[in-house]
Amino acid sequence: MTEYWSWWQGALALGGLTVVFVLMLGRMLGVSGSWASIVGWREARRRENTAAAFHAQPAVMQNALLAATLAEFGEQQTAQAMAGQGLTPSVSAPKRIQAASGLRWTAQLTFLLAMMLGGFLATIASGHFEVRFDLGSVHARLFGSDWRAWITLLVGGALVGFGTQMGGGCTSGHGLSGTSRLAPASLLATATFFGSAVVISFILEGYAK
Amino acid sequence: MNLTSFQQHLRLGLFGMIMGIVLSYIGFTDFGEVHKMFLFADLRLLLTFAGAVLFAMLFFNFLMEGLPPAKKLLHPGTIPGSILFGIGWAITGSCPGIALVQFGQGQAPTVFTIFGIFFGVWLYRQTHRRFFRWDAGSCN
Repeated sequence: MTEYWSWWQGALALGGLTVVFVLMLGRMLGVSGSWASIVGWREARRRENTAAAFHAQPAVMQNALLAATLAEFGEQQTAQAMAGQGLTPSVSAPKRIQAASGLRWTAQLTFLLAMMLGGFLATIASGHFEVRFDLGSVHARLFGSDWRAWITLLVGGALVGFGTQMGGGCTSGHGLSGTSRLAPASLLATATFFGSAVVISFILEGYAK
Repeated sequence: MNLTSFQQHLRLGLFGMIMGIVLSYIGFTDFGEVHKMFLFADLRLLLTFAGAVLFAMLFFNFLMEGLPPAKKLLHPGTIPGSILFGIGWAITGSCPGIALVQFGQGQAPTVFTIFGIFFGVWLYRQTHRRFFRWDAGSCN
C-alpha cells in the first residue's frame, strides 16, 4: 500500500479500538499477553481446567482456600481475623464464589490469526496484495534482501518476544492501554522501548551510509 | 465480564480482524514508515500514536466508569525488557501484533519474525521461572 490514512484518521481508529476492546472483552488490550497464553498453552489449559472445576463447585474452592489459610496462619489467628469481619471459620458454607474467567488460550490464538486475516483483507481490498520476499526498499537498503536479512528478522523477533515478556507489555498493552491510563510502569516502558528503537534506527542509518 | 468460550472466539476474532485492517491502513505494518517514525523524518505515525493515546485517555478518564484494572506493575524487568523490545522493533519493524498482520499482507519473510517472537516468548518464560521470579502482576 502506498496511500496511508492521515494522522488524525489513524489516531481516531487506533484510539477507538483501544476503547472498544474494553467494552467488548471487559479487559485492557494487550497483544503480548495473548502471545504468553499461546506459547504457554499447556499451563493456560491447566489453569482453565482448574478454574472450571472450582467454578462448578464453589464450596470446594472455599474449603481449599480456608484449609490453605489455616495451614499458613494457624487456627487461632484465622478465627480472630474472621471474627473481626463478623465471620466464623465454617468449612461447609456453600456460598457462591465468582470465579474470574480469563480468556481461553484458543481464543487468544483466534485473535492473532484474525489479525493476520485482517492484514490479508486490507491488502486485497486496496488491490495491493502480492506475496513479497522483502520488506520494502528501506529494509532492503539496510539489511539486503537475501538470507542475511532473514537472520536479522529471526534475531530481532526473538528480542521482541523476550523483551515484551520481560518488560510486561508491548506497543498495545503498555503503549496504548497503560499509557492512556497513566500507569507509571507503562509510561516508563513506552519511553524506554521507543527511545531504544530511536537509538538503534539512527545507528542502522549510520552503518548503511 | 463472563463470556462463554464461543463469545470469546467471536469477539476476539472480530476485533483482531478489524485491528489488522486498521493497522494496515495506518501503515504501522510498513517497515519504511516505522523506520521514518524512529528517525523523526516523518511525524505522521508518531502523531497517530499520540493522538490514539489522547483519545483513549479521554474515554478512560472522563467518559467511562468501572474500568478493568490496568494491571501494569513496575518491576526489575520493565526497563531492560523494554530496551530489548525497542531494539527488536527497530530491526524488524514489528511489534508482537504487527508481525502477524505483515504476514497476512503477503510479506513472506515476516514468518522469520513470527518464529523469532515465538522463540523469544518461550525463552523468557523458561528464564523467568528459573532466575527472575519477580511479581509481574499476572499468572502468565
